[in-house]
Amino acid sequence: MISWVLLLIFGLFFSETALTAAPSYPPQVGEAHPDFVLTEIDSRQPVSLSQFRGKKVLLINFASW
Amino acid sequence: MPVWHKATQEWVKQGRLIVLGIAQEQHADRCSLYAQWQKFDFPILHDPINLMGAKVVPLMLAIDETGVVRAVGPKLEDFEDTFLNKDFLAGASAPSPAAKPSAPDIDALQKEAKQSNSIEAWRSLGDGLTLWHGPDRLDEAISAYSHSLQIDPTDNLSQFRLGVCFLRRHESESRQPGDFQKAADLWGKALETDPNQYIWRRRIQQYGPRLNKPYPFYDWIRQAQTEVKERGEDPVTIQFPLSGSEIAQPVRKFLADSEKSSSPDPDGLLDRDTTGLIEVEAAVVPSRIRSGKSTRVHIDFLPSESLEAHWNNEAEPLQVWVELPEGWETESLLLEAPQPEEIESTEMRHIDFGILTPEGLEPGLVSITAYALYYVCEGKNGTCQFLRKDIKMQIEIVN
Repeated sequence: MISWVLLLIFGLFFSETALTAAPSYPPQVGEAHPDFVLTEIDSRQPVSLSQFRGKKVLLINFASW
Repeated sequence: MPVWHKATQEWVKQGRLIVLGIAQEQHADRCSLYAQWQKFDFPILHDPINLMGAKVVPLMLAIDETGVVRAVGPKLEDFEDTFLNKDFLAGASAPSPAAKPSAPDIDALQKEAKQSNSIEAWRSLGDGLTLWHGPDRLDEAISAYSHSLQIDPTDNLSQFRLGVCFLRRHESESRQPGDFQKAADLWGKALETDPNQYIWRRRIQQYGPRLNKPYPFYDWIRQAQTEVKERGEDPVTIQFPLSGSEIAQPVRKFLADSEKSSSPDPDGLLDRDTTGLIEVEAAVVPSRIRSGKSTRVHIDFLPSESLEAHWNNEAEPLQVWVELPEGWETESLLLEAPQPEEIESTEMRHIDFGILTPEGLEPGLVSITAYALYYVCEGKNGTCQFLRKDIKMQIEIVN
């Protein structure tokens, strides 16, 4: 739990640095999800998880195959 | 995915939920076509290097207003009761969203990598260049990941991501000989140290043998393109053509066709393409296998730009004849690549086929040969010839 909070704070302070790897994924229930910045597939604009803070999010890792 | 999409649309409309997708695959355009076909209307982010570290897909996480995970693999039946309707804030006000992010500062990442010379810093630099820049900075991304592998050659995150870069370069105009093989070999190395990483495994299986395929991967693309056109839309363009392996159905065994096919040039009498009018490159995925296992050979054929070569499409199409040692099997000994309707063309052509090795082979390198036959012309009004190119591939049999 503490490690995930530290990771989130690290991500917020060093937001220009791409997160290199989640130590273990997915986080467990009750742990903070690490923030990330990735490009939206069509617009190529950066999108982060933290820009949706304040809302409930359903995050879906998937593939088209 | 489509089931969840349909079920959550009303909650999204009501403002009770944000749905955010992360595509865990190499090619953004294929994912974009899929989203267009399925009419997904939520943001989809591209993660070609598996930055998230997800090991399987689909993987769904319900995350509350403060960023805390409340469910991994939530069930649709009770999603509203156990997540949407629950108050996780305990009376506190909802936190404010963070500012919209920007792309990372590559100069800062470069400085950090050079100063610290740590694996993490070099990897971060590679990630930044791969995710946020195009083919113009691909060589720098390759260099960054290579730096981290010089420090620790077993760093499987760098191995996988470097493989992504090599495949990207292979599919670009900056391709260099051996890029595809390097990509496949790096993914193989990464998987050896984390065999439960199914995102990495699928990346290899996508190009691997049909005998080892869980499903066809991209056989839906043609149907998607047709149905999108029927709706009156232009389908998202697929930038790099799919190989046969990416759409082939899995098989449990090869059907022998050696009775039907015969070698078109058994005595090797045809003139060889000694000047390299067609540049030929072969890759084997995976290149290291146990005896009795299968692999897939990919061969690319590209008319030489410097010699102004082009395909002559008025004659027979490009053919490949596969020569295998005794006891080895393949799907078909004689293969053909389709050709377009125009009389001349200069596109890259691709042929891929599976090989099944017999049991009981000694460990070591085995050479497999094939030859290609094609009509190629040199220069604008140059001579057109029917030529042969001998091709050699190596497979390493391991314990």
